[in-house]
Amino acid sequence: MYIVKRLLTMLLTIWVIASLTFLIMKFIPGDPFASDADVLPEEVLQNMRAKYNLDEPIAMQYVLYMKDLVTFDLGYSIQSETRSVNSIIADGAPASALLGLQAMVVALIFGLLLGIVAALNQNKALDYVSMFIAIIGISVPSFILAPLLIKYFAVEWGMLPVASWGTWQHSILPTLALAATPLAVIARFMRSSMLEVTNQNYIKTADAKGLSKSKLVIRHGIRNAILPVISFIGPLFVSLITGTFVIEKIFAIPGIGRYFVDSIFNRDYPVIMGTTIFFSTLLVLTLFIIDISYRYIDPRIKLTSGGE
Amino acid sequence: MKKWLKSLVLLAAVAVFVAGCSGGTSGSGDIAQEITINAMSEPPDLDPALATDTTSGWVLDHVFEGLYTKDENGNPVLGAASNAEVSEDGKTYTFTIRDDAKWSDGSNVTAGDFEYAWKRTLNPDTGSSFAFYLYYLKGGEAYNKGEGSVEDVGVTAEDDKTLVVELEAPLGYFDELLTMWSFYPVKQDVVEENEKWSAEAETYVSNGPFKLTKWEHDSEVVIEKSENYWDSDVVKLDKVTYKMVNDATTYYQMFKTDELDLIQTLPSDVIDQEKDSEEYSEVPYFGTYMYMFNVDKEPFTNAKVRKAFNLAVDRETLTTNVTKAGETPAHAFVPEGVETPDGDFREAGGAYFEDDAAEAKKLLEEGMKEEGWTELPEVTLLYNTSENHKKIAEAVQAMYKENLGVDVKLENQEWKTYLDTTKQGNFQMARMGWIGVLVDPVVILDYYLGDSPNNRTNWVNEEYDQLMADAKVEQDPEKRYELLHQAEAVLMEELPFNPIYHYTNNYLTSQDFDNIVYPVNRYPYLKWAEKVSE
Repeated sequence: MYIVKRLLTMLLTIWVIASLTFLIMKFIPGDPFASDADVLPEEVLQNMRAKYNLDEPIAMQYVLYMKDLVTFDLGYSIQSETRSVNSIIADGAPASALLGLQAMVVALIFGLLLGIVAALNQNKALDYVSMFIAIIGISVPSFILAPLLIKYFAVEWGMLPVASWGTWQHSILPTLALAATPLAVIARFMRSSMLEVTNQNYIKTADAKGLSKSKLVIRHGIRNAILPVISFIGPLFVSLITGTFVIEKIFAIPGIGRYFVDSIFNRDYPVIMGTTIFFSTLLVLTLFIIDISYRYIDPRIKLTSGGE
Repeated sequence: MKKWLKSLVLLAAVAVFVAGCSGGTSGSGDIAQEITINAMSEPPDLDPALATDTTSGWVLDHVFEGLYTKDENGNPVLGAASNAEVSEDGKTYTFTIRDDAKWSDGSNVTAGDFEYAWKRTLNPDTGSSFAFYLYYLKGGEAYNKGEGSVEDVGVTAEDDKTLVVELEAPLGYFDELLTMWSFYPVKQDVVEENEKWSAEAETYVSNGPFKLTKWEHDSEVVIEKSENYWDSDVVKLDKVTYKMVNDATTYYQMFKTDELDLIQTLPSDVIDQEKDSEEYSEVPYFGTYMYMFNVDKEPFTNAKVRKAFNLAVDRETLTTNVTKAGETPAHAFVPEGVETPDGDFREAGGAYFEDDAAEAKKLLEEGMKEEGWTELPEVTLLYNTSENHKKIAEAVQAMYKENLGVDVKLENQEWKTYLDTTKQGNFQMARMGWIGVLVDPVVILDYYLGDSPNNRTNWVNEEYDQLMADAKVEQDPEKRYELLHQAEAVLMEELPFNPIYHYTNNYLTSQDFDNIVYPVNRYPYLKWAEKVSE
């Protein structure tokens, strides 16, 4: 019952997001067909507007769009007339997803590790080193870090290609650049969460009972400390796998990150809608999965509609 | 400034000559004939009917060939046609398609393919943005605007090899026009079978020196030498890869690590660094960077004030210290690059004014007196948001302050909003750039025709419009260019705009390659390019 209700809420959420985006998008001034070479005769312009239903009143455009959306038809791009929005997403999503997944894995493994190490060595050298790395990760933006990585690893030392996409070597530098900030955030989050947990009575009890240090940390410490981190990595995960404009631009990665930005500049209405719906669907789905996963990590949380 | 241009042309000519002498025999057998270049972004459309941008055009020019094509010096020569005959009145052309003109799938290119392609572009349902280039065809405009029928369009395939083209009026640069991608043929059955044939390499069929073999969207386009091309002997490269690297620092570093062999649009710090390198080249680009004046808004209602605002800009300082990419200061509208019987059109026409702060100040005072202004109405300079435009606008602002004592306000808007604003005429002075798709003064000067949709200045001049109309039907080239010079003179007398500079393209090209041609209105052309060393 809970799951059915959640699924319905999800659909509702996506519908609200799509409708709002549609409305806001129509309020931005500017015309998708405008350019500095203003050469289209009115007759042809009307033809093209008709092709994208832009000659209809906005309410009608909305109805037509929603009708197509139900059948998962996101229409054709205005900018690249021969490409459907579905194919733009299908072509770009795998590269973005792969890169995002790799970055997520790197960020999680090293972020958690750094955080745990720091917490267990609170106020000792290792703590300071870990948190120093974390602060660098947070404060150096990716558009600075990426060119630095390229400069050393690709240009100076010639170990990896500068940019482009295709082999696994191509994905190393962008993965690192993309992972840095989330890694740092996770590390700091994990550290404070871990510190909080280790001060709890049940840890002290377990310690007093003579539980081995490693069991104490893994079974009682990490398992409880990781909960707040999980609720935070959901949205992070979605934003990583749907591509990032900056990293994809710097490393020339054929992902969909740029379409989120460029489509708005081009007033490419179908692409604006398509990418927004794609993103929000993934986000809503991930949040749903995370909610469910709580249940397994923390049995105290019950999947009832009235609960938590 | 002109000297380097000449030496460049000379250099290209020598290179071509040397290549011609060594032709075929040059032992490049062991070197893989491949080049990797940077298209910077995904070409939006590789369908000749739909493409409107230079990136798409760059690929199209390599994989297709029109009735006319360009030679190494940029002059139109017969391409897919082996013969062209013009009627007495200059209105009817009869083309014979080459016997050996082939599609990349091996089938014959027919006159019918041309007829089909052009009518398809004009078909209002196709929604082609460049259909207006085909308005020169008889009945073309009427059909495109839904007022005429397809049967009345002046292009007919008499048989497989004979194409008859009828024009509305004689056109002095029809051969140049036919080199444009909007006039390329498309293979009828391929297009009819699949409307989206041009979206993927698998379904793509073309008739040029190269064929499209791979299109990984947002990553790379690969074209390979087409064995079926009639003149494939002159094509040396086996494979050209267009990468889509948009970030300037990244593609510069890819060039440095040999991941790219040719890059363009260099950032100014790179130009500073590479200026003396052998790999660096500056090529004039057939376009003009300018500010439009709205002649319906004070103070630019007054011609003297407009002229004062022109003369007060120190273009030499601006190009050497601000833009720094070797741009030519503009004192006219038509850029260099058009060959006429009297030499280069620009050189023959000369500069229409000189930057002169003192004269500018005087003109401003006279203009203000004429209008009875004791104080100049406040001026806002509008530009579209970009670091580059901002730098230039700020420099111009400082020059007005210093040379005219006028405080100009700056305002910027995001591109599409900006286009809306300027189209509605909500500006006094606004930035614009114009680049000729074809190398002919008409393409540039048409911009300020009274009924041109591009002309946002509200400036309408009957004499100008008449001279342009006369020039278009004039058959004698010398008289035609004379009329165009006269038209430009009218424009430069009235100055509804403020030309700042003529564009330049900057390239870094690996020294491993020879015979790359750098046209003034396109990206480099690789038909004859050859890799000569590793």
